[in-house]
Amino acid sequence: MARGSMKKADFPKLVAAASENAAFVAPVDGPSGAEFAVIGPQDDVLFDFGNTKLPVKRHFFPQSEVLYQYANDEVRSAPLPEGKTILFGVRPCDVRSLLQLDKVFLDEAYVDPYYRERRENTLVISLACKDPAEPCFCTSVGCGPAAREGSDAIVFDLGDDLLFEAVSEKGEEFIRSQAETLSEPEAELVEKAEKAAAEAEAKLPKIEVEGIAEKLPGIFDSPVWQSIADRCLSCGICTFVCPTCHCFGIHDEKADEGGQRIRVQDGCMFLGFTVEASGHNPRILSGQRMRQRIMHKFRYTVENFSEIFCVGCGRCISSCPVNIDVRETIAEVMR
Amino acid sequence: MSDAENKLREVAQDLLSTGRAELVLGYENGSLPMTTRPCFVRSAEDVQRLVWNEFCTNNLAVYLPGLFARPANLRGEWVPPKVAIIVKGCDARSVVGHIKENQVDRERLTVIGVPCEGMADPEKAAAGAGGNALADVCLACTNPTPEVADIMIEVKARPAAGDDRLAKIREFEAKSPAERWAYFTEEVSKCIRCYACRQACPNCYCKVCFIDQGKPRWAGAGSDISDTIFFHIGRIFHQAGRCVECDACVRACPMGIDLRMFTVKLGEDVKDLFDYVPGLSVDEPPPLCAVDRDEENLNTEL
Repeated sequence: MARGSMKKADFPKLVAAASENAAFVAPVDGPSGAEFAVIGPQDDVLFDFGNTKLPVKRHFFPQSEVLYQYANDEVRSAPLPEGKTILFGVRPCDVRSLLQLDKVFLDEAYVDPYYRERRENTLVISLACKDPAEPCFCTSVGCGPAAREGSDAIVFDLGDDLLFEAVSEKGEEFIRSQAETLSEPEAELVEKAEKAAAEAEAKLPKIEVEGIAEKLPGIFDSPVWQSIADRCLSCGICTFVCPTCHCFGIHDEKADEGGQRIRVQDGCMFLGFTVEASGHNPRILSGQRMRQRIMHKFRYTVENFSEIFCVGCGRCISSCPVNIDVRETIAEVMR
Repeated sequence: MSDAENKLREVAQDLLSTGRAELVLGYENGSLPMTTRPCFVRSAEDVQRLVWNEFCTNNLAVYLPGLFARPANLRGEWVPPKVAIIVKGCDARSVVGHIKENQVDRERLTVIGVPCEGMADPEKAAAGAGGNALADVCLACTNPTPEVADIMIEVKARPAAGDDRLAKIREFEAKSPAERWAYFTEEVSKCIRCYACRQACPNCYCKVCFIDQGKPRWAGAGSDISDTIFFHIGRIFHQAGRCVECDACVRACPMGIDLRMFTVKLGEDVKDLFDYVPGLSVDEPPPLCAVDRDEENLNTEL
């Protein structure tokens, strides 16, 4: 696969060239920490950051989006999202989450047109991790600090140099198109990148998840769920920061002459998530909600898509106000 | 192990083994460096889990209304549990609020007070601040020693903060309404509507929050900034005369919204208007829930 290298100081030139035909989205230092934003050559791109505060799913599955609008007798579907995007600096765990979300939103039974348009119009360039954060455990769930799968190209931050490596044909094309800034890398740089990736990998803890989907049915009624969730505050942080959580609610917003139907990210940890029209709530206890979240990620998705829907990014661990740690929950389940 | 930690374990052991408490709410070590987390101790053997250090930040009073409410899935007889709770100065003020608002069964609640030396801000501590890692909110604390405690752990509290604790609020008050509004909207525009601020707050125990109500629907659920603003105004105003400045909302917010500015400002307004500071006395009626017939400004022509 094609490779290219450049001096990091020249990165604004690449941004300038690449953003001629596409919106260039990259991690920047935002008001709440690292976040993806549309940038230009004048903006400072973050290279040293653990991960963005919020997951990359929001680029494809926004927190809130209009499905259709209506006025009087007329109903109009929301226009499909348009325009090419280059999404730069996505961590490999977040890239993996996109492959998982594809299984939900691009399932052959029903393809979500809004998600599909954004996916097809986006080139994903990942940024290999050199210093995994404390709660990271990506290698335990099939990913890694330099995992390529799902990216169009991967970038290694090697201090003064950036090394690009194509993964897909689209990525190859991108590297070729940036011939003005990217040149053939010296073998030394490639070696350095491999070494950095191996070092990062060695820092990551191993969590045992083998066979978890088979373990879970047997403990559906176990008191373990309530004991894990005793301290749960039933806020939605873990679901919002999770790159693979994809539940949404549908809301109608009325105005005088019409209105719109929107879908909004929702989360199973909210008490109101399963309230039925009668007022009955089948998941009244925090332990029942915790069980749902873990069952969904580690059992139902394995049954439906042959895959655990956790990429080991650790965001739920670092953001939880009461330190509910999914690594401990997994260990508890495996016991 | 600190002195306070030893004493807390002894007290918890005693309460659980004599049956005066079935549950002790305390802190145990967290899974990340420089963290603790809430810990539900139900047996005397488990008291060894309890810790006391500068990272015991959570306000455990948040669990009380839920523990003293009849479980929604339960039919038949129900007796509220006997609960003991470990509190710092700010947490004790939350408990006072719960007592006044009838959210706890006082007879079945044992309050274990720990005079507070101030809690560390893990971010400051991680940045190598050493002994100067005190959280901003603790630097501004007026009541480090619990005002209500059935059992007091004898340790020394840090001195209460002086008036300079309001420097940022005064700065904010001095701005024009347009500037204040701009700051407010800028801050809340970070919000992702996860409602962690509400869930972490001991005062937010409504069965259904106004923002979640469907009939009527008070605000939209989407990302329209006016809906987000509406949620925050509702939440903040429900804290007027009730917020004890424990900072649970600020610590819980994943997006780093400066929520303290607005609740503290409102608290100062209530203090100026009604000469009332929440959470200090069980007997003092909360001003927004009490009417004094002889009050000078009382408008009776409604």
